Amino acid sequence: MSVAIIGVGQTGYRRSFPDKSSRELIWEAARLALEDADMDIDGIDMVISGVAPDALAGEASVERTAMLGFGKPFLRINTGGVTGSSTVFAGNTFVKSKRARAVLVVGLERMGQATSSQQVFNTIFDPVYEKDFPLTTITMAALRASMLMRLYGYTAMHWAQIASRSFRNALKNPLAHLHKDISPQDVLDSPMLAWPIHRYEACPMSEGACAMVLVDKDMVGSRTPAWIQGASSITDSYAMGDRIHRPEATLVDLLSLKLAAKRAYADAGVDRPREQLRAVELYSAFSSAEAMAYPALGFCTAEGGPRFVEDQFTDPRLPVINPSGGPQGANPVSATAMVRIAEAALQVRDMAGERQVADVDRAVATGQGGATQFSTVCVLGKRQAA
Amino acid sequence: MDLVTIEGKWAFNYTYFAGESASRFFHELRENQRIMGTRCTKCKRLLVPARAYCDTCMAPTDEWKEVGPEGTLETFTIITTAFPGLPAPPIVMAYVTLDGADTALINLVHGLDLSDIEAAAQKLNTLPRVRVKFVDEPKGRITDFSFELI
Amino acid sequence: MVNVDGVYIEGAAIELSWADSRRNLMELIYDTVSKAVDDAGQGYDGIDSVVLAAQDLVDGRSLSSMVTAPAAGAYLRDEVRYSDDGAGAFAAAVARIEAGESERTIVAAWGRASEHDVEELSRSLFDRIFMAPLGLEELHVSALNAQRWRIDGGDDGAAAAAQARRGAAARANPRALHAGGRRSTPAYPLRDEHLPLWADAVAAVVISGKPSGVKLRGMGLSSEPYWLGDRGLAQAPALRRAAERALAEAKLDVGDIDLFEIDGMTLYDEAIALEAIGLAPKGQGMRALAENPRCNPSGGSAAGYGVPAMGLARIVEATLQLQGRAGTIQQGKPRTALASGLSVTAAQTHTVIILEAA
Repeated sequence: MSVAIIGVGQTGYRRSFPDKSSRELIWEAARLALEDADMDIDGIDMVISGVAPDALAGEASVERTAMLGFGKPFLRINTGGVTGSSTVFAGNTFVKSKRARAVLVVGLERMGQATSSQQVFNTIFDPVYEKDFPLTTITMAALRASMLMRLYGYTAMHWAQIASRSFRNALKNPLAHLHKDISPQDVLDSPMLAWPIHRYEACPMSEGACAMVLVDKDMVGSRTPAWIQGASSITDSYAMGDRIHRPEATLVDLLSLKLAAKRAYADAGVDRPREQLRAVELYSAFSSAEAMAYPALGFCTAEGGPRFVEDQFTDPRLPVINPSGGPQGANPVSATAMVRIAEAALQVRDMAGERQVADVDRAVATGQGGATQFSTVCVLGKRQAA
Repeated sequence: MDLVTIEGKWAFNYTYFAGESASRFFHELRENQRIMGTRCTKCKRLLVPARAYCDTCMAPTDEWKEVGPEGTLETFTIITTAFPGLPAPPIVMAYVTLDGADTALINLVHGLDLSDIEAAAQKLNTLPRVRVKFVDEPKGRITDFSFELI
Repeated sequence: MVNVDGVYIEGAAIELSWADSRRNLMELIYDTVSKAVDDAGQGYDGIDSVVLAAQDLVDGRSLSSMVTAPAAGAYLRDEVRYSDDGAGAFAAAVARIEAGESERTIVAAWGRASEHDVEELSRSLFDRIFMAPLGLEELHVSALNAQRWRIDGGDDGAAAAAQARRGAAARANPRALHAGGRRSTPAYPLRDEHLPLWADAVAAVVISGKPSGVKLRGMGLSSEPYWLGDRGLAQAPALRRAAERALAEAKLDVGDIDLFEIDGMTLYDEAIALEAIGLAPKGQGMRALAENPRCNPSGGSAAGYGVPAMGLARIVEATLQLQGRAGTIQQGKPRTALASGLSVTAAQTHTVIILEAA
């Protein structure tokens, strides 16, 4: 059973939307996705939403006020950073199971309502053994970044180059939250948050909603599809300390992403990812998180990572990473992993406007969440997987 | 027309049960100033901090064993910016594998000169040996101890 | 129509407890999931997927599954967490098997009422602008529904008998909470004994496409609008539609079903639910609950209630009945059973699962 994305809707992303309720943001994204799909809500069999964590919005089930379409099956997902991609994958599952022919998936982030987000992020940690420490999404990334520098020779300049590239890509994306021409030196000059992470390596806090329409192949008709060729999700242990001495993969080897990529590539028939995947949308909330994804996705060896960063600026044959600007351009947390898939779908459908990469036959989108623990890989293509 | 905003506070009260294993771990911190791990019955790793089961094997743990008090730093960060609701910087936080343990444990590192962050980072990058240092009046919490460079 | 021939429940487990300080939340989860996997008898090796229902606020961890999912066997498996009810997670797990994405899946759901303030969490479910300032809780919505049902001519005379029967059923249920727990303060017309007994609940099942003891016959899901004024009070239209869909898929009439395990927060919600699924005529749900021992033989919400595990708890109880393993509350030899679960704000969504003895 082949499943296609035929509609993508995004509100665009900003620090906050004081002029729109949560309900209106969801409706706006859904309306745009349905319009793109040339469908109305009556054609949708099921709605799956993703919002996480509730605490960032300061409301439980913040999307519940926007039940789209009367009486439809409705489920809600919360898998932290991968909420958006988990939601798309759930839609894919229900279509593949033939329980639905068309599913509307929606992701909403309302964190503009939170005035202390890193304090909220601290409350995701184990209250018994860990919450007493200043563990946050930033320090968690910093613990890995320092390890990558020591093990593989990444420098502060590599982190700065990655961040600057994303910022400059976001200049071409009208939906992005930040439109700033940031140079690598600007990144290095920005304040240090937690060594070795500078402020401009961290993604912003954004609000906004994303929605997509997923249908089975009989419903595609004359529409322009992005076919879901492979979709896989893997969960790792929570305990970061348990992963340091693990023989099969250390704390900076993204084992969950590697296993997810292996499965998704197998389903999609991808065996030379560096050549076959033209556009790559990574859920990399920090430069170091992007570096960890390279070997897991088969773009280079772990040791070859710093070189791969440098080569991206000179070798046009390499995959284009985060043409949308990625999470550095906009990070509506709950929706970010869905936005990656939405952007990959636009690339495959040749609908990405000024940020369109040439000759995209296949694109890949990732999701990353929890204690670098939940990984998703989604391969999209112009054609159905063989 | 003004757009309405309404002030809110998202605070809920919880009483978390630490359970028997963590309680014993905390008891050992408070009464004996020692750090304990438990061994997985299947993979035989000594897991620190102590826990009732191994989530890799989905198998119970049995033997209790003391680790440390010395160990090796594995990775670290130095928090240099203040965030609302979190402790004031600069703070060094690190994963340390205590001698005898098969997993690493996170805690703060004290006693390091932080006047030059870059220099402190380079020193920690050598993965120095560290020692567990207990507070004067342990309360049976994970904050009863921290690490200091040997 | 979906071909559901081929999804089976291989193992099931449930535990209701209260403030057991010997175990933390993860250890509670680990114990019940291990029991379900042992019950299935295949070990962990064949399990490739984990589908969970858990809620951040209930668990007091802002990204619950980051800390809790590994306790349910998520390590290096395809795991997803629904912030929904356990029956919704069960439906999603069924779809995984049907889609060919998984051979064998763990479904688990939990909620530990002894760790948090249930009323405080309930208030957080209402939107900050219009409803929360009123101090609304979900049980107030149950009270509004109950009173509307009475105004509409519901046979309230049977309430005492219905409560007596479900209280006795809960006392007889070996898996019910028999010590501890607590109840909220009732709002008119509800009384103490009508309310759910808040508990620490964990439920788990193992499902696969391989023929086993209990087979999925049909399932249906539906939703209602958020605004209470937009809903059909005392009619549970989402449950009605979910049941219609599940029965249609099972090619069964409600009269063909031998046993019901219905999720409702209060006695009145359970009675209204029996009307919504078509078992009792309008206004006669309470009478059915009083007189039909095959409606909620577990004792329903009086046996112990821990959000969001209750839909899966109902599925576990139905499974045990179909296998003749329900113990002191076994109801003969039922061939078919209907279980339901509800979620989001004040039963805004419903899932109905129909099972049969294979």
